[in-house]
Amino acid sequence: MKANPKDVLTGVYYIDGDVASGYGALAAGCKLVAGYPITPSTEAFEAMCRRGPQVGAVFIQMEDELGSMAAVLGAAWSGVKSMTITSGPGYSLMQENIGFAAMVETPFVLLNIQRGGPSTGVPTKTGQADMMQSRWGSHGDYELIALSPDSPQEMFDYTIKAFNLAEKYRCPVMIMSDECVGHMTEKVVIPEAEKIELEPRRLFTGQPDEYIPFKPDPDLVPKMAKAGDGFNLYITGLVHDERGHPIKNEEFKLKYIRRLVDKIRLNKEKIIELKEEGTDGADVVVVSYGISSRVAVKGVELARKKGIKVGTLRLVTVWPFPDERITKLAKKAKAFVVPEINYGQIVFEVARCSHGQANVVLVPHGGAGVHNPDDIADAIEYAVREEKKIEGVVEYKTRLEKLVFEGGYTLKE
Amino acid sequence: MTSITQALGKGIEKSGIDCRKISVPSDIPFSPEVVRELGVDYFQTPRGRAIAFGTGLKLGNPALKVVPIVGDLMTLGGNHFVHGGRRNMEVCVVCVNNFVYKKIAGKPVPFAAVTFSPYSAFEEPFNFPHLGNSCGAVYTARWTTLHTEELANSFAEALHKGGLSMIEVLAPGPNYYTDINGIESEILKFYYEHSVIKNNEDPRNVAITPEEKIIVGKFTDKERPTFIDSYNAQHSKILGDRFTPHGGKNA
Repeated sequence: MKANPKDVLTGVYYIDGDVASGYGALAAGCKLVAGYPITPSTEAFEAMCRRGPQVGAVFIQMEDELGSMAAVLGAAWSGVKSMTITSGPGYSLMQENIGFAAMVETPFVLLNIQRGGPSTGVPTKTGQADMMQSRWGSHGDYELIALSPDSPQEMFDYTIKAFNLAEKYRCPVMIMSDECVGHMTEKVVIPEAEKIELEPRRLFTGQPDEYIPFKPDPDLVPKMAKAGDGFNLYITGLVHDERGHPIKNEEFKLKYIRRLVDKIRLNKEKIIELKEEGTDGADVVVVSYGISSRVAVKGVELARKKGIKVGTLRLVTVWPFPDERITKLAKKAKAFVVPEINYGQIVFEVARCSHGQANVVLVPHGGAGVHNPDDIADAIEYAVREEKKIEGVVEYKTRLEKLVFEGGYTLKE
Repeated sequence: MTSITQALGKGIEKSGIDCRKISVPSDIPFSPEVVRELGVDYFQTPRGRAIAFGTGLKLGNPALKVVPIVGDLMTLGGNHFVHGGRRNMEVCVVCVNNFVYKKIAGKPVPFAAVTFSPYSAFEEPFNFPHLGNSCGAVYTARWTTLHTEELANSFAEALHKGGLSMIEVLAPGPNYYTDINGIESEILKFYYEHSVIKNNEDPRNVAITPEEKIIVGKFTDKERPTFIDSYNAQHSKILGDRFTPHGGKNA
């Protein structure tokens, strides 16, 4: 299915990541955006409010993020593509309905322009500390997909991809961007509608009485129906059987939740997108995502000038996590260096997957800014020189940390 | 709940609206049999989110009639009701009030949850019709599960209202509580003795107080532009031909 030419603003633009994402959503055929504007994601909401009514997309500023997320899910069941846009504090409020969406397999896209946290944090500056929340934020077992674009162009492209993934796998898809990418202004090329491939909704086409709402197709994803089409839908956040009816039975719960998890895990290879450069024969592999991968480019360049063989692995898809690829790289490389704007989140996933075969070095950042590329270069140098195997994660002390804390706290009795 | 869903079924029938176009988001669990009987689409949302979920359903497909059924005295998600009323979102909110938290008639309510209020309830209840009316609801009514016919009529009327309508239903708590209190058979008698029908009463005067009888009836029935009306009017005015009106005749 191709995009509708009316929805696509074909042309070359100089816009920020937030706006690019908004345009991407409309190009993907998003027809409802419900949100509660929050810095630094407001520009995306504004772009959709401005452009949406001209292409038949409705926007509504809800009373809060709980309501926004609920409205997005309601809209999805009414048959339209829908999304919400938020940042840290709003993201926390949305977790309740994200779990509901995962449970009743509702496709939607959530754009999270991460800011400094926790709590109100630093609203106008960047952070990457919601990465684990995006994976485990709602209670219970579930899987979802999270993407991390690193430029305004990617914000456009991957917002479309996010909608496609949401429709294909009927699950929540998070765009885990950050303030830097959201507010970064760059050239964005929006192609012609015919060059934009869209995933249609997996609608059941048979008779209503033949419809079994949660009976999976061979790829483990069931067909969906719309409210108002006479399907007499029974959709509940309680654990349910294939008919959607609540059940408490242990075997059924196992069967249902297992499928929710497996529909993403077993389709991992098709979902995951990575961008790798120079990892063949590399001694050190820099694993990064979002804005940190842009900064890492410079760090890697500096390290290469010193003659170190460095490769880069960019997690365009952060969840599901590319376990196998990291494990494979761990067998060849000496170490991983993971710069991220938090005190260690994705780095522990890297450590988990490297099974102690490669050292794992975290280059932390407290937020409200990005890394100094020199720190990344130094961390790479340290990682390549370190001969002994180190258990767990080594935290590299950055220049800023040394300056502010003189090397960190020591607890005294 | 059974009497409410039965009244809803009757109301739908009376309204002449195709039940397949009706969506019922609710935070109260319905049995699949009830949903099958009603012939509607049912969504059991997280607690308190039925009105917001219904807002999405309505905006996504304006041809739907949305009936959010909320419980717990709207403690969770009350703000969705307040703002739904303000923007006059076209949903028919059913608020099931089973006095889980509240006192009535100056004594421990026979159907109050003994488990949560072992020493009897002491908080004041909401005056829902007044709250709804103040927030901008175009239709407010209160009935008990004794008034099945009146309740069904209210459903039929509310389903045709443009905008947020609100029907408060005084209902016994879940069977679990009525069983604990051993008063299941006394509930309808209680409603009979303690309620009085006063249609068109000023919603300000219908608070449920310990001293007076419970006033039931239809209190508000007015017209206001709905969210979708206002959305269309505003954008048509500014954008002219560039705007395609949402829903309505052009849906």
